[in-house]
Amino acid sequence: MSASSTTTGDRSAHVAAAEGAVLRADELVAGYLPGVDILNGCDLHVQPGELVAIIGPNGAGKSTLLKAMFGLVKIRKGTVRLGDDDITGMGADKLVRRGVGFVPQTNNVFPSLTIAENLEMGLYQAPKRFSQRFEAVVDLFPTLGKRRNQRAGSLSGGERQMVAMGRALMMEPRVLLLDEPSAGLSPALQDEVFIRTRQINRTGVSVVMVEQNARRCLQICDRGYVLDQGRNAYSGSGRELAQDPKVIQLYLGTLATS
Amino acid sequence: MLTTLAAPRALLALVALALLLALAPALPGGGARADAATPAPSPGVSAPTDVEGETITVRVRTADREDVPGAEVTATGAGVDPVSGTTDDGGAVELVVPGTGTYEVTLDVDSLTGPAAGLLPRENPVQRSVASGSANPVIFQLSEDGGASASAGGVSAGQVAQLVANGLRYGLIIALAAIGLSLVFGTTGLTNFAHGELITFGAIATYFLNVGAGVPFLLAAPLAVVLGGVAGYANDRLLWRPLRRRGTGLVAMMIVSIGLALLLRYLFLYVFGGSTQTYAEYQGQRGLDLGLFTLRPIDLISMAVAAVVLVAVGLVLVRTRLGKATRAVSDNPALAAASGIDVNRVILVVWVAGAALAALSGVLLGLAQQVQYQMGFQILLLVFAAVTLGGLGTAFGAMVGALFIGVFLEVSTLVIPTELRNVGALLVLILVLLVRPQGILGRASRIG
Repeated sequence: MSASSTTTGDRSAHVAAAEGAVLRADELVAGYLPGVDILNGCDLHVQPGELVAIIGPNGAGKSTLLKAMFGLVKIRKGTVRLGDDDITGMGADKLVRRGVGFVPQTNNVFPSLTIAENLEMGLYQAPKRFSQRFEAVVDLFPTLGKRRNQRAGSLSGGERQMVAMGRALMMEPRVLLLDEPSAGLSPALQDEVFIRTRQINRTGVSVVMVEQNARRCLQICDRGYVLDQGRNAYSGSGRELAQDPKVIQLYLGTLATS
Repeated sequence: MLTTLAAPRALLALVALALLLALAPALPGGGARADAATPAPSPGVSAPTDVEGETITVRVRTADREDVPGAEVTATGAGVDPVSGTTDDGGAVELVVPGTGTYEVTLDVDSLTGPAAGLLPRENPVQRSVASGSANPVIFQLSEDGGASASAGGVSAGQVAQLVANGLRYGLIIALAAIGLSLVFGTTGLTNFAHGELITFGAIATYFLNVGAGVPFLLAAPLAVVLGGVAGYANDRLLWRPLRRRGTGLVAMMIVSIGLALLLRYLFLYVFGGSTQTYAEYQGQRGLDLGLFTLRPIDLISMAVAAVVLVAVGLVLVRTRLGKATRAVSDNPALAAASGIDVNRVILVVWVAGAALAALSGVLLGLAQQVQYQMGFQILLLVFAAVTLGGLGTAFGAMVGALFIGVFLEVSTLVIPTELRNVGALLVLILVLLVRPQGILGRASRIG
């Protein structure tokens, strides 16, 4: 039996499965311009310790869904809940305090600040924990410790991605939202990003990641959502989605069958 | 950074040029000169207007700053009897003339004796617009071939040192104003044309407290700086934050700032009047001879205060958490918010601090020159030049750019006419930007 299911009009599976989620979005409608909705009623949930992927074609609303949950896009309808708290439309600085971390796709470091200062900004609301958290993040990304006094603006794309993830991890978030972390990186570096993401997830952080590299992403994630035109098209475990003929045909390409 | 700032940078350059064209005729020839901001004197010698006595303080000295005693000087005005006097041991004499108006002060070169015999003044006679309540200084500077020496290449080390000292004094004043402008631009993207009015505000507030309410200058000045901070707070809370929240574009906000500048300038004109005033204290202070150059004690103290404040601001930006957050917001406001920084609070702090620094700049400018309703507007272009020269949005760049502009302005008068020195400084700005488009301290960031 395939767990993949179209969710249009039928939200019962989502509602049942979302019990106890650390972060959940229900029937989100959101957009940037007045009268133009990018999301047309999206559902998403992530359980504690889960790694969840959002994939789909260009313009499906993947990044918008992530940004809407982080309060960066105006939500017109629907709710976002963190545990039992309604956080719909809450400002980013408050969400960070409550344990949500966000790594944007581009411009995700402070170029004129050093690596150490970038990480310090990630812990802006709890400066006293800096030395402890700095060590924890450097354990994950040893390069950052060695080059702590280098300006982030001089780093390569892959190094910046590590600084960006490290910054978001400084506050010890419960949920980490990653917007296309592998974008623009070489295949080898993309692999490294996926491995790091899995490592971060194993430390107990729930992760929601938006990815263009759908096939690779589905290999490491626990569960995935396929978005199309601002709606949930399919959802299921990574393996199920990667083997679902409809998903392959529409979003992964025929090579995935081999 | 390069990509996000490219548009505002180009815009700023264009606007600065437009402002230069509009302003060039209006800019005073000598920004740092004590008499620069006096009401426009009518050409020729006009009739003095009232009957109360006014003082013209004449000093005669050599190019090496030796005071010349025993020199005879005469002030003549239309319709009044000439007033003569002889300089004392300090090379100074006060001529009491019947009233305000334009006078011609003549030095009798035949009266020069001793080492000064045979020397010629740079300019003789000197026309002076005499204002009420001012020391109305006239200085005859003597050298072997009069005015020719300065332009004919015979530049003395003393002259250069004096101009560098004056330039540093001016540059420090510009730097104080430039930091606020730069930080506001960095954190919000706003090109604030009303920043000049914050400078004027500091000077006018000090004037009203000092002259109007009788508060001693040393108390009035810090009070005016605090009031400047309050003005910055009001600026952000009442105007700029609401505009940002509504997503107003940067160009629209810049136009709003031009409107606000006009409004404030004419409000100052209404409240303060169009005349030029001085603080009640520290006027007519004699210069201290410091070897190569001469500065008044109050100038030395002003420069020390400015330098200490600038270093303190620099340390705050580099060392403190708030300073780092300010740089983070300048780099990327969206990411700063996503990191948990309260961006609006950082911007508010920047406004308060930037406006307080601008007010301090105005207080010191009022000491170096005089207080006048559009004094801030008149140095605004130089402040913009300093910010752009140093590297947009970098506070240290603004400091370096300001010192460079100040010293360059003064020293350039050795080779170009004083009236053209602002133009010279802006030409240098253009040349530097052609070579280093990111400014002296601005860093070109890699893209992607």
